[in-house]
Amino acid sequence: MTDGEQDSLASKHMQTHRRHWKNCCRWKLISQFLLTFQTHRLDYIVDHYLSRHFGSIFSSSTKERTLCRSSLESLLAAYFGGRVGRNNRDFMSRLTCDYFFKCMARERGSEEVLDLVDDYFVELSVGVTGLPVSDSRITPGLVLPRDFSVYRPADGDIRIVIVTETVQPLFSTSGSEFILRSEAQFQTSRFWIMERTKAIMKHLQSQNVKLLLSSVKQPDSVIYYSGLAGISVVECLSPEEVSLIRRITGLSPLALPHASSQDEICNTVLVKFCKPLTFRSKRYVHLGVISTSSFIPHCVVLCGPVQGLVEQHRDALHGAFKMLRQLLKDLDLNYLIQTSDQNHTSSPLVYNESDPLPEVVNGSIQRPRQDTVLRNKSKPAKTQTYSDLVVPSVELETCIIPCSAPKVTPTGTYQTDETLRCFSPTKTRINGDNEPFIESNSANSTENTRREISYENLQITKIPGKGNLLPVREKTLEICAAQGHCFSTIPAGCVLPVGGNFEILLHYYLLHYAKKCQQSEETMVSMIIANALLGVPKILYKSKKGNCSFPQIYVRTLHALQTHQPMVSSQTGLESVAGKYQLLTSVLQCLTKILTIDLVINIKRQPQEIYDQDSEEEV
Amino acid sequence: MSRLEAKKPSLCKSEPLTSERVRATLCVLKGILTSSYGPSGRLKQVHSGFGGCVCTTSQSSALLSNLPVTHPILKILTTSMQNHVSCFRDCGLFTAILCCNLIENVQRTGLTPTTVTKLNQHLLSLCTSYLKSESCGCRILVDFSSPQTLLCLVRSIVTSKPACMLTREERDHLSALILRAFLLTIPENTKDRLILGNSIIVPLKGQRVLDSSVLPGILIEMSEIQLMKILPIKKSEAFKVALFCASLSGDFSDTGEGTMVVTYGVSLENAVLEQLLSLGRQLVSDHVDLVVCQKVIHPSLKQFLSMHRVIAIDRVGVALMEPLSKVTGTQPIGSIGSISPSSYGSVKDLCPAKFGFKHFLHLIPYEATICSLLLCNRNDTAWDELKTCNEPESILKDDGCTQTELQLSTEAFCSALESVAGSLEHDGGEVLTDMKYGHFWSAHAEAPSIVNWPDLLSRCGCGLYNSQEELHWSFLKSTRHPFVPQTYLPHEATGSADNLTLDCFTAKLSGLQVAVETANLILDLSYVIEDKN
Repeated sequence: MTDGEQDSLASKHMQTHRRHWKNCCRWKLISQFLLTFQTHRLDYIVDHYLSRHFGSIFSSSTKERTLCRSSLESLLAAYFGGRVGRNNRDFMSRLTCDYFFKCMARERGSEEVLDLVDDYFVELSVGVTGLPVSDSRITPGLVLPRDFSVYRPADGDIRIVIVTETVQPLFSTSGSEFILRSEAQFQTSRFWIMERTKAIMKHLQSQNVKLLLSSVKQPDSVIYYSGLAGISVVECLSPEEVSLIRRITGLSPLALPHASSQDEICNTVLVKFCKPLTFRSKRYVHLGVISTSSFIPHCVVLCGPVQGLVEQHRDALHGAFKMLRQLLKDLDLNYLIQTSDQNHTSSPLVYNESDPLPEVVNGSIQRPRQDTVLRNKSKPAKTQTYSDLVVPSVELETCIIPCSAPKVTPTGTYQTDETLRCFSPTKTRINGDNEPFIESNSANSTENTRREISYENLQITKIPGKGNLLPVREKTLEICAAQGHCFSTIPAGCVLPVGGNFEILLHYYLLHYAKKCQQSEETMVSMIIANALLGVPKILYKSKKGNCSFPQIYVRTLHALQTHQPMVSSQTGLESVAGKYQLLTSVLQCLTKILTIDLVINIKRQPQEIYDQDSEEEV
Repeated sequence: MSRLEAKKPSLCKSEPLTSERVRATLCVLKGILTSSYGPSGRLKQVHSGFGGCVCTTSQSSALLSNLPVTHPILKILTTSMQNHVSCFRDCGLFTAILCCNLIENVQRTGLTPTTVTKLNQHLLSLCTSYLKSESCGCRILVDFSSPQTLLCLVRSIVTSKPACMLTREERDHLSALILRAFLLTIPENTKDRLILGNSIIVPLKGQRVLDSSVLPGILIEMSEIQLMKILPIKKSEAFKVALFCASLSGDFSDTGEGTMVVTYGVSLENAVLEQLLSLGRQLVSDHVDLVVCQKVIHPSLKQFLSMHRVIAIDRVGVALMEPLSKVTGTQPIGSIGSISPSSYGSVKDLCPAKFGFKHFLHLIPYEATICSLLLCNRNDTAWDELKTCNEPESILKDDGCTQTELQLSTEAFCSALESVAGSLEHDGGEVLTDMKYGHFWSAHAEAPSIVNWPDLLSRCGCGLYNSQEELHWSFLKSTRHPFVPQTYLPHEATGSADNLTLDCFTAKLSGLQVAVETANLILDLSYVIEDKN
């Protein structure tokens, strides 16, 4: 190799290195833009534009927030579509729906029910192999996957107790010492232990206890004496099962040292029934516990020809409840509002970071900006704390926005957001630094709103000591806080039709936003996300032809959006908006992280654990 | 020397069903299954080149568990069938063949899996609703007052296992025994809920099949010397029994988590033994005649008991405990302290028994739902084949009649069901169906093409109808006009036919569902990702 060649190689190397470095810098910059966009802008876009398309799985007919069964069914059908085989899809979504409604005592408690089902799903489901899937069913009560140690049939008043230690007293507990001085002492001790066990059982019997649940294995004698006393015993309950029973019934474990005293035992609860149950020659304990909460105990028995299929269905069902749990919670949105002082009559807020801070209106004290930032950071997950500070009357005012809007329900199974919002007058306010007097005269006819909404003049009363409160949703703010943090939510139960609706909508609004943007980097990031989003429906409609092909769907949706017509979805399923949105933010965060990586160091890891006999001998 | 290998990447195959290898294997498996189906099925001998047992069988459970299946798709199929068999102990081959047929036929039609699974699901629901409906012609309700139908069912099952190598006489004998054993497990005075007892199968190899018998109560196997020791048994009205689940060996385990300090000179062994002996004294004073212990009895206690003419049997094992407690009506005693007199039980009689080379102590109960079925056979394989047990509720006529009927009532269900019916004929004969009841008829192969069918065919597959009636036949695989099979009236059956071939309804129904579901599951697969590590 000549020197010249070497030189050229070196320079080439330098060049590529420099290019790489340049690229890395650019990526890092992009990632920063992405992060700012995701934290400060994306929530705004969702809150301001996308939210008007949201439907809800709550039905609007009643004053109470009631779950709409058909919406729930289409939500679940769409969920199971990607998780279980084609032939079991409908069956599974029906089963899940049935289970959910059977477990729910009253509408209000749906969140509690979902929390419980999600936390204890393993205990609430029983898998049976060898039977057809269609034999899966829901049984009332709890099913424990073990047999009775001793079973005594009982009727009428059946009380149960839980113990977490052996009922029979032991010679010595841990840390203590038992000194044996004579054989007689040993015999009397043993005799005393037996008598005591017997006495405890007699006492339980006198309290109408018919079933003893134990988290530990009990000695033979305990089983024997409880059998004599007509008490059934189930041993070796898992900690999860014990805590499930405790959570449902409120029963706490029996404190044994006091059990034989003559007082009444308070740690007992009634059960409806307690009997053995058999699924394909395997025995189970079937317990009709009575719930004190809004969860009515039911178990789901999942059948399937092979174990793998049962497991798959079980996981899918668990996932469905996790999804519902997320869906029925409000998702907080939190973004920075910066407005220019111009009036925008025809478009929503235009953001311009280079805009100077507007003058303080009304001469009130301006707090330092840091305060806001801190506030934002320390903002708790729940906005409940803020709502305490808020005078509700103001919020109520915002709810009585007369909506003469046409319903935009493509499937007819869910309804649009206005009605929903009226029922959930929640946490929508601006918590700004300043305390300006604001008169929001929003006589707006935005071109983006496809409904005619006549807003009343909103008079925001001053709340002493606190920031101003503004209803932010669904309206363009003309005079606004100079700079404020806006806290809003995606309300519980928000759904969109499946089939790429979320993606196309967000794509549309992101492009819309990009057009209005004055900063080139924001435009760029917004475009990047918008185009990436479109990739998802592209894949979804890949195999479809003709009227259902992607270009057709895309054009139709855009047309509907531009002309403010209801969008028509080709599919009937629904999906959770909050879940989708959270996924999007996670993806963006992941992307920002990946973009900041400038070097991947690849280590060929040696296989661990190499035993070489020779080397051992050498040692 | 162990070395951890680097992980192999997973294998991913798309459209697994289209691969030639899978098709070929599926075809072979189907061939194996179909040729084993039914009373005239052929036997299969499975043996491994590495040695071990040779298995001669035509039973689905034995076949499927012995055949080495490697491809994931076939694994799904066989596992699914095995699970079904372990659940119902019947209709395994039916399920497996139907499943294979469905997969094959669907592939031949070239429809997309989506359409096929939907169609199958719909047809299955039609079938099940027909089978469950009152108008279903394939169902016979079992009349528990007359054993005839039950006997037919049992005989069908026994007959369909040709590997048992039974003669006709042996077959009838065994069927009757199995039925008797089953009937003995039904409690005499049932309350609201029927709880069946159980029959314990006692294996006896190297004996004649005709020596098999059913005995009420329990046989406890013991060596001749042990038996000699307890003989002669003193006679009494009833024998008082104490059944222990706690160990009587004098061990001492429940000391707790702390430490136990024993002063020098104190002998715990003596203390425990003293306690055991006082227990023995209590047993003697309570006039117990028989002490049975799940675990070990201390030799001293044993000797003490035998001195007082109390029979002591230990190490009976956990499996016998539940039947023992049912037979004697006792509760297993878990304490060596004080025993409540209520926990003693009783048996009517005790007698030594010898069957073949084995010695038993026979516990004869007053009234119990436990019986022992002594199964004798000449060799192991045949004995393994014999272990069949059943709990029928409602019975389905078998031998193709159901399949043909089903196939007719749901014309579109490919020809899968038809093929199952067709695979019942193994002697190269023709399969026919009549146009009135839709039942299954089988003809010999050497029959001339134009014959008077009634002369050739005497009885339909299940034996319900004979050829004397005015019937028209057609070949099963030919085209025909759809018709509604006539519903058959139950009272005709017991009168006219005494040799019906029957199947358990619940098992068959579930088998049908499992077969369709498994086929759907397999057809729905578009990727197989295998972790070869």
